[in-house]
Amino acid sequence: MAKMGMVFDLKACIGCNACVIACKQENSLPDGVFFTKTLSEEYGVFPLANRVYIPTICNHCEDAPCEKVCPSGATYTRADGIVMVDDDKCIGCSSCAVACPYDQRTQMDAENFLKGLFGTGEITPFEEQGYGRYTPGTVTKCDFCSQRVDVGLDPACVVTCPTNARIFGDLDDPHSAPSKMIRERHGRPPMPEKNTKPKVFYVN
Amino acid sequence: MSIENKVFSGDTLRVGYRFQRHWDNSMAYAFFCAELGAGLYFVSLLLNSIVGMALGLLLVSTGKPYFHLAHMGVPTKSWRAMLRPDRSWISRGVWLLAGLIGAGFLYLAASLFGDSLGLEANSAVLWLLKIAAAACALGVMTYQGFAMSHSSAIAIWNSAIMPMASLLYSLAVGLAVARALVPPAQASGLTDTLLLLLLGLAVMHLMFLHSGWHGGPGARTSVELLLQSVYAKWFWGLVVAVGIVLPGLALSAVPASALAGAVSAVAVLAGFMAWRILIFKIGVFEPIMRMNPFHTAG
Repeated sequence: MAKMGMVFDLKACIGCNACVIACKQENSLPDGVFFTKTLSEEYGVFPLANRVYIPTICNHCEDAPCEKVCPSGATYTRADGIVMVDDDKCIGCSSCAVACPYDQRTQMDAENFLKGLFGTGEITPFEEQGYGRYTPGTVTKCDFCSQRVDVGLDPACVVTCPTNARIFGDLDDPHSAPSKMIRERHGRPPMPEKNTKPKVFYVN
Repeated sequence: MSIENKVFSGDTLRVGYRFQRHWDNSMAYAFFCAELGAGLYFVSLLLNSIVGMALGLLLVSTGKPYFHLAHMGVPTKSWRAMLRPDRSWISRGVWLLAGLIGAGFLYLAASLFGDSLGLEANSAVLWLLKIAAAACALGVMTYQGFAMSHSSAIAIWNSAIMPMASLLYSLAVGLAVARALVPPAQASGLTDTLLLLLLGLAVMHLMFLHSGWHGGPGARTSVELLLQSVYAKWFWGLVVAVGIVLPGLALSAVPASALAGAVSAVAVLAGFMAWRILIFKIGVFEPIMRMNPFHTAG
């Protein structure tokens, strides 16, 4: 069985945020809602100072704490390992949001949809066609663009990345690009001490 | 590293601690109503105080659901919260709450109108209802602590002290309020128990601070927020001074005074409310990785 996952190459990421924009476009995310973010941090002291970019996303944990605490069964894991949220079942209690150590859950407040992308209260045709997929009040997150994965495409953020800093594929396949990268470059998951078995890895 | 040197990233794109703001004051009020109501019902059940039981049930059946629904994103689907008791403490809580309200009201009704219904005071039905109501009340008094301690995301909550704190506070506020509702002769006999519970709360707070301080970075940060930030005055002032020391002194000095009893009840309630709000405010998510990932990777 496939186990879809992602690898972030921290040396390749240039912090251009193209992935963030691609994600917002693909998923028609309203103002203030992000499924992926690129954090940045300076470290060291001049002249040995540097800046590093750290992309973040839902880690689609094998032992997902958000799934365990969900009281309505809205959060579930697909056969290919992608952790999903069923809008019809979500009651918006936010227990998944406080259970996620990576703070990757977002509540879709009704206000998010009303103010529009330009903050004028006017909804553009682009927003109108996209907002229908969400139920106000529910808690959402990245689903690795499951609609694209289902037809054999990579997630929008992966396709858009100009430096190949995001590599997506089947982690159960030892010959897949992410598996090789994790093996050869000693990939490590974020916050392994939380014991959630993330399917997202970082390499330097 | 002290609190001044830590990065709190908030909504910015920096790597740092992020405050938990998913569970807001509405949740704190809901937790308050549930633990106060269940504690009051449980203590009143033991004291045979009809007024206390009725008040406890009223809080649990109105305040708790109201504030939960106010918090919930899709309140019309809230019934779905009872679907996964096999894995979610929230689901288990809904069942316990339903059990307490059901068995609690039936026991209250049977206690009030049992004679006209032909129920004897020591009948098996009454005992069964009493045991069911007491068990569900104990469950409601503790489940919120388990719901918080279950996940490792917010380190300060991820501790066995959370359910213990819920139970101790439930009993303390329940007894403090019940004591103010029962006749003075009965109330004076409860003073020692309340003082013991206040001592228990003080020890629990010490354990909480100690385990957080010597815990992981997230737990340490939360304790630092509690002791060194804007929250410190509320913790020391309301939770400790008003919520524990003041009622302790008042009850020790004039144990038979009705006024001291009433003041103590209000003080313990104020301390408990402050604790419930603060415990949500100080919850932080840890940074996703160290500031220099290249330093430790590989």
